[in-house]
Amino acid sequence: MAELTRRGATTAVVCSDAFLALARNQAGVFGVPEMPLIVIPHPLGGIPMPEVKARAERALPQLVDLLRESLR
Amino acid sequence: MNELASLLRDPEATFEAEDDYENLNELFFERGWSDGLPVIPPSIRRVEKMLAYCDRPWDEPVGLLPPRWGEATPWRLAANAVMAGCQPRYLPLVMLAIEAMCREVFNLYGIQTTTHLCAPLIIVNGPVARELTINCAHNAFGPGWRSNATIGRAIRLALVNIGGAVAGSGDMATFGSPAKYSYCVAENEQASPWEPLHVERGFPADASTVTVVGAEAPHNVNDHESTKAEGVLRMVAGTAATTGTNDIAYAGEPVIAFSPEHAATVAAGGYSKAEAKRYLWERAWLPLGRFSEENIERRMRVKFSERLGNAGPDAPVPVVQRPEDFIFIVLGGAGKHTAFIPTFGATRSVTLALRRRDGECVHSVEQLRGA
Repeated sequence: MAELTRRGATTAVVCSDAFLALARNQAGVFGVPEMPLIVIPHPLGGIPMPEVKARAERALPQLVDLLRESLR
Repeated sequence: MNELASLLRDPEATFEAEDDYENLNELFFERGWSDGLPVIPPSIRRVEKMLAYCDRPWDEPVGLLPPRWGEATPWRLAANAVMAGCQPRYLPLVMLAIEAMCREVFNLYGIQTTTHLCAPLIIVNGPVARELTINCAHNAFGPGWRSNATIGRAIRLALVNIGGAVAGSGDMATFGSPAKYSYCVAENEQASPWEPLHVERGFPADASTVTVVGAEAPHNVNDHESTKAEGVLRMVAGTAATTGTNDIAYAGEPVIAFSPEHAATVAAGGYSKAEAKRYLWERAWLPLGRFSEENIERRMRVKFSERLGNAGPDAPVPVVQRPEDFIFIVLGGAGKHTAFIPTFGATRSVTLALRRRDGECVHSVEQLRGA
């Protein structure tokens, strides 16, 4: 993802809020501290399908905003 | 040129401070350069002394440590070895263990950052284990032995200070483990009825090796009753066959550390290591129905679709994929116990021999001194 970001592609990492600190750190380590993160509530594992869908609904507007931003 | 001062041109590599043990330790705690215990301040003089048994350029990395991908150079490893309280002659094993962990199959990135509670377990074989009096007998996993304690601690400090395994932002372990403070033993080769681990893996008996395993803490198999090989192995199988280990869901290599007494009982039944592994493998399994419905549907049927895709509740789920995936060692003192040590699962163990730069196997760390 970091490499794709560096090459100018619109990229984002989907990340649960509990892992935000690790994700920000890793983006910095790989030289793209500004890499977009799409943040969803933790956890993603071990939840029923309606809750998975609810997380997708949280992620979608962030993705749309990111794409809009990249087209400006 | 191996002169530490010339390698420290980066202004952030050193700082000046008053040589005050208490104040320096407070500073180290504040900056997170510790495992939470006091350290020996790594002055330039102490680090240079620690490098006495390093036969390679002090700034040539033995690997990159994730998730920070910091360069594990000999001088940085030596600084962490000073902090941990190592003797200089321990450093070659610290360097070798770090080199082994950097092999791709070990998956150090996963081991450092996972929510699982694994830590690299270091198993030392060969003459250097005896030379450095690494404990292989009573309380081998426990405290009270300088080489075990400080080699393991130096590795942990390197994983934190170079690798960035900082709780909550690099090391995401849900619980962590006391094994993350230090986890280093030697195999009790002299008390083993079988060939030691490094010989089983193709190294000469007089080579010295380090094996790294991404492991949980040990879990005991108490068996004071079995008098036959099959009895001991059945008890180990029963302990190993549990639903919650990572090994059963991935392709792990759990360690079975037999006490000398249990190993003797198994060997007296006529079992070679390979035969004992097969006997164990055939009995270390669970019926699919022991897993929760969600685990059966979402994990087991997906990961092992060929075997378990349409299997019924009685279908066997083996603890490991092949008999040879069990790592057998003999360890410890008197007593009828065996330690079952599950792993991170998504990792393969790595064994490397201690060698000089010219590739020759080292039988004594003295062969590396001042090279």
